[in-house]
Amino acid sequence: MEREQHIEVRPPSAGGNTEEYWLNMGPQHPATHGVLHLIVRLDGETVREVKPELGYIHRSVEKMAENLTLLQNIHLTDRLDYLSCHMNNHAVCMVAEQACDIGVPERAEYIRVIVSELQRIQSHLLWWGAFAMDIGALSAFLYGFAEREKITDIFERLCGARLTMNYFRPGGVAQDLYDGFEQDARQACSDILYALDEYQRLVTGNLIFQERTRGVGILSRDKAIGYGCSGGTARASGLDYDVRRDDPYGIYDRFSFDVPVATAGDCYARYEVRMEEMRQSVQIIEQALKDLPVGPIQAKAKPVLKIPKGLQVFRQVETARGSFAMTAIGDGTATPLRVSYRSPGFMHVAALHEMSAGFKIADLITILGSLDPVIPDIDR
Amino acid sequence: MAVGLDLLPRYLDPLPGGKGVVSAVDVIVNWARAHSLWPLVYGTSCCAIEMMATGAARHDIARFGAEVFRASPRQADLIILAGTLTEKMADHLVTLYQQMPDPKWVIAMGACTISGGPFYYDSYSVVRGADRVVPVDVYLPGCPPRPEALLHALTELQQVIKGETIRNRRASKELTTAPPVDRMAVDLAAWEEEQDEHIAEVEANKAAWKEANPDFQAYKHPKLDKPKLEAVERVKTPRRGALPSALWAAVAERFDGLSLATCDEVTEDALAAMDADSEAILDLVIDPERYAALVGFLRGNEATGCDMLHQLTAFDDGEQISVLVHLLSVSQGHKVFVRCALEREAPTLPSLSGLFPAATWHERETAEMFGVVFAGHPDPRRLFVAEGLKGYPLRKDWSDPSRVVAREL
Ligand code: SF4
Repeated sequence: MEREQHIEVRPPSAGGNTEEYWLNMGPQHPATHGVLHLIVRLDGETVREVKPELGYIHRSVEKMAENLTLLQNIHLTDRLDYLSCHMNNHAVCMVAEQACDIGVPERAEYIRVIVSELQRIQSHLLWWGAFAMDIGALSAFLYGFAEREKITDIFERLCGARLTMNYFRPGGVAQDLYDGFEQDARQACSDILYALDEYQRLVTGNLIFQERTRGVGILSRDKAIGYGCSGGTARASGLDYDVRRDDPYGIYDRFSFDVPVATAGDCYARYEVRMEEMRQSVQIIEQALKDLPVGPIQAKAKPVLKIPKGLQVFRQVETARGSFAMTAIGDGTATPLRVSYRSPGFMHVAALHEMSAGFKIADLITILGSLDPVIPDIDR
Repeated sequence: MAVGLDLLPRYLDPLPGGKGVVSAVDVIVNWARAHSLWPLVYGTSCCAIEMMATGAARHDIARFGAEVFRASPRQADLIILAGTLTEKMADHLVTLYQQMPDPKWVIAMGACTISGGPFYYDSYSVVRGADRVVPVDVYLPGCPPRPEALLHALTELQQVIKGETIRNRRASKELTTAPPVDRMAVDLAAWEEEQDEHIAEVEANKAAWKEANPDFQAYKHPKLDKPKLEAVERVKTPRRGALPSALWAAVAERFDGLSLATCDEVTEDALAAMDADSEAILDLVIDPERYAALVGFLRGNEATGCDMLHQLTAFDDGEQISVLVHLLSVSQGHKVFVRCALEREAPTLPSLSGLFPAATWHERETAEMFGVVFAGHPDPRRLFVAEGLKGYPLRKDWSDPSRVVAREL
């Protein structure tokens, strides 16, 4: 009896007005894809404001880069966006190639494209599984990973590592393709196409999935440009920009592929765009495998790669998440004066508030999942 | 058979006369605990992907009874520390650990959580070894360890658990407090010393052998062909969007006294050279007073049309802090860079967040890394680093020996 007196009795709020409150999500939270910390202002279940807190996996990569040569920097970029490490390596290699005027043999260029596109598929498969899991479709996670392992196997045979591959070098790639790579890659491509049809039946057509993604988390085209969004996130908002096509690097201008664009800007559009991107990647791989020349895989390069003093070298690549750019400023020595990385996810999470204000908290999870963030890439 | 009591496995109860007897309760409890570990969903970076792969179809951690990944620490009894641990995260990890009910175990997965791994040197934010923060039972090396290795670590942990007793089981768990040692440097010094001795010994032996066998001819190995690498001519990537000279003409009409970072003097020839080089990007240098006006002009003007702020960052050349702005025209495809040099003492610039929402976070990052103050910034808080860090880490004169192990070049 005595205890009841301590219970605070609140008056019912007048006129249906509710009280707003702050909720912390993360940094350890299964739906934040790592260690993102979201501070959410809620009104009941409705999100009023989202403030992302970063830095829980800020590893000072840019500071470390100042004491490393460009070659030594390659392995650190593996660990930024570890789902797009080939593309990240590509950016570093292109910076070195531009600064020191190193050419790349044809075969190496083709290999670069093939492994990059395989990795884009691999990354999207993981995203697909994780995104569906965020919405509650647990089995999709297992399907996505089963398919992903096949590409991981190819990479493992190719470079000896499953995740942090460190395969590209200024002037080429580290090793030649193994015997049977082409067959494996073709097999992987046809497996993916088959799997994509299966995913269509498993998740895409599911009514619950559609209900939870259509019209949720809308990002307008203007906002996407304003926030510097790129990749699938921006293309789903009608921003027709793909670095592979609009700032071509490597030999991407030799292949014909579509850049899928949607205009709705909601989670479903982002989903559709990424699913279509996988099919387009398969197309690129098939074209590249058809034309794959024989020849050297490494060009001769200077043993020490120096960026001339005061030169600013900028290269951007299209990773699975969007435009990843590396800027290096030289001081004439073997180590650069400054290296900075522009990560695509950084801008997407910055735009999270725009997308999720007004939706329910469960939608916030959907929206975050649809952005495909990789937190170490954001925090660097 | 008499054994020293301290050598007995901990689940053996000592009997008089130096014998031990197995505590049946311990055996059953340990068996149950070891085969139904519930890991916490905790992953900070790359290693987490391999942890997820271990949980997924091919490797299937369920075979070892540890598939019930729990989202709440209150339901978990194992943390697999998958991924780098930073100072900002460390407090949270301790909270998570403390929220877990006893008994609880920790696997340090990957080089990062063992010692800092690839981030040992020069990093100002990484904790060099998770065992400084929470007690670790099993160390699993690799970067990242393969899923099979994680399964191995799990079985190792099961062995550890089976050797425990339900009495006083935490007695042996301690944190590492020793300051981080640069093991590479220590080992290298030891190796060099050893090597000197070794070389002296070998040389002496060689001389003795030569004296004993004066007409000995050493076998010459056939030389393997080294792959000859050819230099390849670099193909420049094609240009998209407006020519630098056209962009320059549009800007120079409105702003006089501008210069370019890539050439000393802007002449017709210099601009023509830039036009001819498809990779050349206009890199404008502007004074702080007209910086915001220039960026606004580049954005609003039709000829320049730079509608996206790609990145805003800075660099320190030892004398001045220069802010770099990378602008991109999404519709046309060209890029324009703007740089603005500032004094080291209290560098200030107007904020671009009104023009580009994207600038908000980039400016926060630049402010905390270089100490540039962006006037009128709507949210001037720190972005990445933990509260305790003093100074601006990306400045060249910054150092903090208490955090950073400098790499010997
Ligand atoms: S050990 Fe390697 S793979 Fe694992 S988190 Fe550290 S850097 Fe990433």
